[in-house]
Amino acid sequence: MAKPVRARRPRVERFRLRNGLSVVLAPIAKSSTVSVWVWYRVGSKNERPGITGASHWVEHMLFQGSPHYRKGEIDRAVVKVGGSLNAFTDYDFTAYFSTVPRDHLSVPLDIESDRMTRALLEPAEIERERTVIRSEQEGNENWPEFRVAEELGELAFRRHPYRWDPLGFPEDLVALTPRDLREYYRRFYGTRNAVLVVSGGFEPSQVRRQIRALFGRLPTLGEVPDVAVVEPEPTGERRATLSGPGTTPYLEVGYRAPAVQDPGAPAAILLDVVLGGETRLFTVGRGWGPSGEHPSARIYRALVDRGLAVRATTQYRPRQYPGVFLIGAQAARGVSLDQIEEVIHRETGRISRFAPARSEVLEARRKVRRGAQLAYEGASGIGFRLGYFSMLGGERFESDLLSRVLSVSPEAVRAAAERLFPAERRVVVGYEPSREAPNAG
Amino acid sequence: MRDDNDPLIVRRSERSDGLVVARQAPPASTASCSATYLAPAGSAYDPPSRVGLAIMTNHLVTSGAGSRDRVTLARDLDRLGATLQAHCHPESAEVTVWGPAEVLSTLLSILADVVLRPRFRGEDLERVRRQLFERQMRELSQPESRAEREMLRAVFPTGHPYRETGAGTHTSVSRIDRNDLIRFHRDHFTASGAQVVVTSPRSGPAILSEVNRRFRDFERETSPPMPTLPPTRRVSATPHRIDMPGRSQVEILLGGASIPRDAPEFAGAFLANEVLGGRPLLSRLFQRVREAHGLAYHASSELEAMRWGGLWMAQAGTGPERIARVLPILSSELERIRSERVGSGELDEIRESAIGEIPLGVETTSGAHDLAVEVTYFGLAPDFFRRWPATLRSVTPKEIQRSAEVAMDSSVACTVIAGPSRSPRASQ
Repeated sequence: MAKPVRARRPRVERFRLRNGLSVVLAPIAKSSTVSVWVWYRVGSKNERPGITGASHWVEHMLFQGSPHYRKGEIDRAVVKVGGSLNAFTDYDFTAYFSTVPRDHLSVPLDIESDRMTRALLEPAEIERERTVIRSEQEGNENWPEFRVAEELGELAFRRHPYRWDPLGFPEDLVALTPRDLREYYRRFYGTRNAVLVVSGGFEPSQVRRQIRALFGRLPTLGEVPDVAVVEPEPTGERRATLSGPGTTPYLEVGYRAPAVQDPGAPAAILLDVVLGGETRLFTVGRGWGPSGEHPSARIYRALVDRGLAVRATTQYRPRQYPGVFLIGAQAARGVSLDQIEEVIHRETGRISRFAPARSEVLEARRKVRRGAQLAYEGASGIGFRLGYFSMLGGERFESDLLSRVLSVSPEAVRAAAERLFPAERRVVVGYEPSREAPNAG
Repeated sequence: MRDDNDPLIVRRSERSDGLVVARQAPPASTASCSATYLAPAGSAYDPPSRVGLAIMTNHLVTSGAGSRDRVTLARDLDRLGATLQAHCHPESAEVTVWGPAEVLSTLLSILADVVLRPRFRGEDLERVRRQLFERQMRELSQPESRAEREMLRAVFPTGHPYRETGAGTHTSVSRIDRNDLIRFHRDHFTASGAQVVVTSPRSGPAILSEVNRRFRDFERETSPPMPTLPPTRRVSATPHRIDMPGRSQVEILLGGASIPRDAPEFAGAFLANEVLGGRPLLSRLFQRVREAHGLAYHASSELEAMRWGGLWMAQAGTGPERIARVLPILSSELERIRSERVGSGELDEIRESAIGEIPLGVETTSGAHDLAVEVTYFGLAPDFFRRWPATLRSVTPKEIQRSAEVAMDSSVACTVIAGPSRSPRASQ
C-alpha cells in the first residue's frame, strides 16, 4: 500500500451527541464565512414505487415551515444576513446547507435544529409544491441527456431503487399524499440519521456549546435505513432507443459498477480517470457537473479527436450500493449511434485486454493526487466534502480511499475493466433527434 | 487587514503598450492562484460574413500553443493540478488559468503561450467547427436558449454588437479558415485594450515583473476600434410565440436593452433588479410565481450591464398550461418596479442581503478572482467592493424607481414564449 496522502485540509473535530447526532467541526481561523451542513442518510434509495420522489419532495418541504420559522422565514432569515442556502437530494442522501458571514452562525444552526424533527409539512403547502416539483422535472425533461439517464436507470436496475431518478416518476408526483410525505419524514429524519458539519470561521468551544444546546435536546429519532433489495447480477445486454427533439444523436452506455466500499472501487475510480479524464471525488467543488474537455483521456481521443463526437466522457460516481459506470457521447453531425457505440466497445475491449502503460497510470494518479491536495477550499466546499465523505464511509474513509486509488497498478486498472465491461453487464441507450423544421438561422 | 492581503482590493497599473496588469490577494487559507487575460475579442467583433469567428478563436487558443500541442498542454496542466478555460462574451474574450499558488510562474508562462503563440492547427479547427455546429443546433432546440436568441434579435437591430449570440450559422462557420483565425487573433489579442488579472499571494511588483517577462511581443499593440452601436428600436408589444413541440417546459422571457455599467443609474438599477427577480429567494418574482402560487420552479430576473450597453431579462420556466397565469405576474411585477417606490422594509432586507453576500463571493480563489476581473474590466476603483455596501445604502427608493424606468424600459423590450403549446404527457 502506498504511504498515506495528506490533502490540504483543515483540522477536524468529530463527536456524537447522546441522541446519536454526529457532529463534524472544521474551524478555519481566518475565514470570514461559516457554512452549516446537515446530511441525512436518506435518499431515493429509501423509496419504493408509489412514493418515488418522496425524499426530494420532503427536501422542498423543509423550507416551507417549522415551529419557529413559518413559511418563507427560513429563506428570509439566512438571505437577509447575506447568506445563501439550498439543499439537494441524491440517491443515497439528502443535504441542506447555509453559508453566512461568520457573525451569523447562530441563524443556520437554529434553523437546522428546528426543522430536523419538527417541519410542519402542511397539506396546503404540499399541494402548492406539487406543481413546483413537476415544473422542475419538466425543465429537466427538455434535455435529451435527462431522458436518456432516466431510461438507463430503468434498464440497469430491475429491482433496486436506483432504478428511478431522485425526482421520482411523474405518476407518483401526481399521486403522493401529504400523509405519505409526513410518514416518510417522521421515519427517516432525526438525530440518529444525520451528520451536522460546521466549517469556516468560528470558535470551536463556543460552537460546541451552541450545538449541544440546540441539538442535544432533540429526541432520538431517525431510522438508519438499509436497502434490503439486492439487484441481481445482469445476465444480458439491455438496450433502448429514444427519440424526440434534440441536436445530434446521443449515446450512453452504462455498466454495473462496484459500490463505494467495494474493494474494486479504487481501480474503477482510476479507470474513470484514464478513460474520461475527470478526477470527480478528488477535485474542487462537487465534481458532479458536466465534464470539461479532457483531450488526453482515451474516450475523448477515440471519439472527439477522430471527428465522431463533439463531446465524450465517462462517469463513475461511486454510490452506497452497486451503481453504474457511464460512457456518454454526443455524435458529430452525420455520425450514427452505431459508429459511436462501436468505438466505445473497442476502447472498453482494449483496456480490458491490455493494461495501460505505467506512465499513463502514473499520470492519472498524479492528477488525482493534485486534485485532492487542492480540493479543500472555502467554508462551503469544505463542508460539502466532509459531509459527503461522511455519507460514504467513516472518519478516515476519504484518506484511505485516496491512498488506495494512488496505489492502483496498471494491471489492476485492466482487471477492473475486464470485470466491468463484459457485454452482458452493459445497458445501451441512444437518443435519435426527430426531424424538425429547419430554421433560417 | 492590510490592503496587500485584502481580496476586495484590486491594484492595477498600465504598461506603456497599454496592457493593464491587476493583482489581487487570494482569500486567506486558500492554496490556489488564478490568472486571466481579457482581450477586446468578443463576438461583437465578428465580421458579418464570419459570425462565430470570435468564439472559434477563443476556443482554439487553448488547443495547443507554443511548444505544446493540445494533448501535451492538457497533460502539463494535469501534472500541475491546473485548469485552463476560455469564455467569449459579446465585448471581450477571456482565458483563465487556475492552479496551485506555488506554480504561478509556470501557469503565467502557459497563459502567455496561449495568448501570444496559439497554433491553430487544421485538425483542431475542424473539431471546434463541429462543436460549434452542435451548439448552434442546441440554441435552436432548447426553449431557454431559443427564447434568448429570439429576444436578442427582436430587441437589437441588425449590426448591433449584442444582436447575435456569437455561435453563428452553419454557413458563416463553414466559411472560417485558418487565415481568418490568424488575422482575428493578431488584431484582437492585443496589449492595448487588454488586461491581465492575477490573484496570488505574491506582491504586486513581483506579479508585474512576472507578467512583463511573459507577456511581451504582442503582434499588434493597438486595440481594435469599438463596433458602431445602432440605436435600439421600439419593439412590438405582441409576444413572440415559438412553438417547439415535444418539449415539456415553456420558457417565458421578458427582456430588452438596458444601461451600461458606467451609467449613473447603475446602483439603483442593480437594486431594482434585485427586488424584481435578482435576489435569490427574496425577490418578488420568486415569491409570487413560486412561493405564493406554485407555478414554476424558476422565476428570476437579471441585469447585465456591459461597457457599451446592457440587457435585462425577467424569466420563468413553466408548463404550457400555466403560461396564462405566469406571464401576467411577470408583466405586472415589471410594471410595479417601474411605477412604485419599493417599501423601506423590503428594500432593507434585499439590500442587506446583497451586502452580506460579498464575503461569500471571496470564499474561494475563483470567486475572488471573478470580482477582480470585474473591477479591472470595467475600470472600477481598486476598493470598489469595499465601498459597495456604502454605495448601496445611499440609494433611495425614489432613485431605484427612476433607475428601473431607465434600465428596464418596456418600450424597447419584448416578450418571447418558447416551448410546447401543450404538454407531451397530456396526450398519454
